[in-house]
Amino acid sequence: MSSKRGSIVPYLYLLPWIIGFILFTGGPILAAIFLSFTKWDLLTSPIWIGLSNFTGMFSPGSDFWGILKVTLIFTVFSVIITMAWSLFMAILLNQKIYGVSPFSFFYFAPAVVPLIALTFIFQLIFSKELGIVNYLLSLIGVKEGPNWLMDYRLVLWVVITLCIYTYFTGQMMLIFDSALKEVPKELYEAAEIDGANSLDKFFKVTFPAISPILLFNLVTATINSLNTSFTLIYPLTGGGPGEATQVISLDIYTNAFKNFRIGYASAEAVILFILVAMISILEFKFSSKWVYYEV
Amino acid sequence: MKKKLLVVLMILGLMCSLVPASFSAEVITIRYAHWNALSDKYNYVKAFEKKYPNIKVEFTLIPEAEYSQKLSTMAMAGNAPDVLCLWECDISRFAKDGLISPLDDYVSQTRAFTLDDFIPAVRNLIKMQGKLYGLPWCFATEIMYYNKDLFDKAHVPYPTKDWTWKDFENAAKKLTVVKEGKVEQWGCDALGFQGLWYSLIGTFGDDIVNDKGQFSMGKGARDFLQWWYDLTNKDKVIAAPQVSTSGVISTDLFMAGKAAMAFNGSWMTSVYKDIKNFRWSIAPIPKGVRHYTTLHTGFFAINSKSKVKDAAWKFVEFCMSEEGQKLINEAGNNPSARISILKKGYYRVRGPMGPGVWDAIDESAQFGQWGYVLLPPGLTFDIVKDFNAAILGQMSIDDVLKRTISRAKEILGEGGVASE
Repeated sequence: MSSKRGSIVPYLYLLPWIIGFILFTGGPILAAIFLSFTKWDLLTSPIWIGLSNFTGMFSPGSDFWGILKVTLIFTVFSVIITMAWSLFMAILLNQKIYGVSPFSFFYFAPAVVPLIALTFIFQLIFSKELGIVNYLLSLIGVKEGPNWLMDYRLVLWVVITLCIYTYFTGQMMLIFDSALKEVPKELYEAAEIDGANSLDKFFKVTFPAISPILLFNLVTATINSLNTSFTLIYPLTGGGPGEATQVISLDIYTNAFKNFRIGYASAEAVILFILVAMISILEFKFSSKWVYYEV
Repeated sequence: MKKKLLVVLMILGLMCSLVPASFSAEVITIRYAHWNALSDKYNYVKAFEKKYPNIKVEFTLIPEAEYSQKLSTMAMAGNAPDVLCLWECDISRFAKDGLISPLDDYVSQTRAFTLDDFIPAVRNLIKMQGKLYGLPWCFATEIMYYNKDLFDKAHVPYPTKDWTWKDFENAAKKLTVVKEGKVEQWGCDALGFQGLWYSLIGTFGDDIVNDKGQFSMGKGARDFLQWWYDLTNKDKVIAAPQVSTSGVISTDLFMAGKAAMAFNGSWMTSVYKDIKNFRWSIAPIPKGVRHYTTLHTGFFAINSKSKVKDAAWKFVEFCMSEEGQKLINEAGNNPSARISILKKGYYRVRGPMGPGVWDAIDESAQFGQWGYVLLPPGLTFDIVKDFNAAILGQMSIDDVLKRTISRAKEILGEGGVASE
């Protein structure tokens, strides 16, 4: 009798979360999968059209190929840049130098400014005519500064680099910071005795020691870059010029709520889900080659 | 005897208590939603309730970012407000799906206004949709702004309502100042707000949305894009396109005094009124093969499923009356779509440096069309991204137009796009 009760109680504690998940996450996910096979404008009932949304998306002349390419480039490079930046910052902040605490405040400050406010500031900073970047360039002899956010060769890279100012990058920095503090000091001492220089110490001691946290940040950064992609790009460039910064998340929003094509947008969301799942699976699959769970 | 008296008194007492109850049962509640909060000073809802004490208005504020979607989902669920203020991109869909009732009968019987008093675009919409489905709560339009001090400095006469694009081109060339190979002052700023592209293309002859409600773009767009490209890249009198957030530019060269002319929505008068360093004014968009500008509004419409349609109409009628329009125009600084009230200028907010004369708004109202605002905003915004790419030399004009037509066909269907 008591063992039966004992097996139900944990589930009862989990029940509120499970109900919430089913109602607000699981249910909508299933609905989106269903809607991806329909044509729906939010006003009349959805009309079943089978795989038409998917065939349209992947047809030869479709815009979706370009959007997929931009999304992949954005995701891969923003994850690399933000992880490298946050790790670099965390290492700097772990140095025992005088006056490091004010620096940690300044490095984390952009992370707590709302991203939408930051995008307005970036538009001002990178403005071709009135922006400070082009002004500084003019001081060193560059008369005609580039149109940073409207030049299709530059804009995506500028946007990727600006990801270092997001809240999530700041969060990764804090996580790396605590992971670095956990690395046993004796390992560094032992490495020094063996004649290791700074680079050796980083690659042979630090990197393996924090590799589980690296994997965690890698997977969450990948998933998060797809959220950030909308919050950063929608106000900053709107996806333009042309389709230079049009990522899938932005296209889903535009198609669902600005073009009244919920079915097509749901199909794009399904593809995005598959993309994220595939990348995460690959990341986990290859993690066994470089992640050490016991130091 | 005493008992009988008591019974009579009780019945009388009951009747007395029922009478006010039956009067209070006359109060009808109508539901109304809008994206702007009601102003304390110019509260047209309160004014309506004061005039019609037996009708109560239950007001819901729906944030602008989700306004269109929220109304659509409410309509689908069958609990949309009795009075809707529909965006232009939604009115055709709502009318087609029978979610709003035609207002022709109500309008023909009202004494508060006549259809003749409205700007021409309202009657054009009736022609397009077959019936009158909505009345514009006020409107905004797209105009030209110019820096009077820079014009005086360059000895260029101010723009007038008779200006053509040739006059504009000549003025822009004289107003561009180059120092040591760098442009210090532009003749004209780049187009920021997306509507301006469609307004300017309209002056080159394209209908944007034709009489049948189809997307119509072709030669006019081609000619305009080529001409604007040359002025931007060859003559270098128009500034290069800038990034914007949903059409709002963060670095406004006109406001900074670095561009002598700019094209923008009429709502910018309430922003530019804070300009302190130079005198400025407004003019209608210059004429191409014709005059054209875009009108922006929200349409008062009645939910076809409403159980209190007559009361809902009373509210719409009040809002469109002189009393209601005066409050609405003063609250939002937007002119009335009723010509007689538009002339009275309740919407005007004068700044210390401009605009001085407001005729440009009245004149623009005469030839303004709804145009692109009737189309899905995602489509029209994405097309403008390609226009910018064309001006930046990143895409050929032919490619842009091909993509525009194919995109429009994908979203509107083959029947939604006019053949060239």
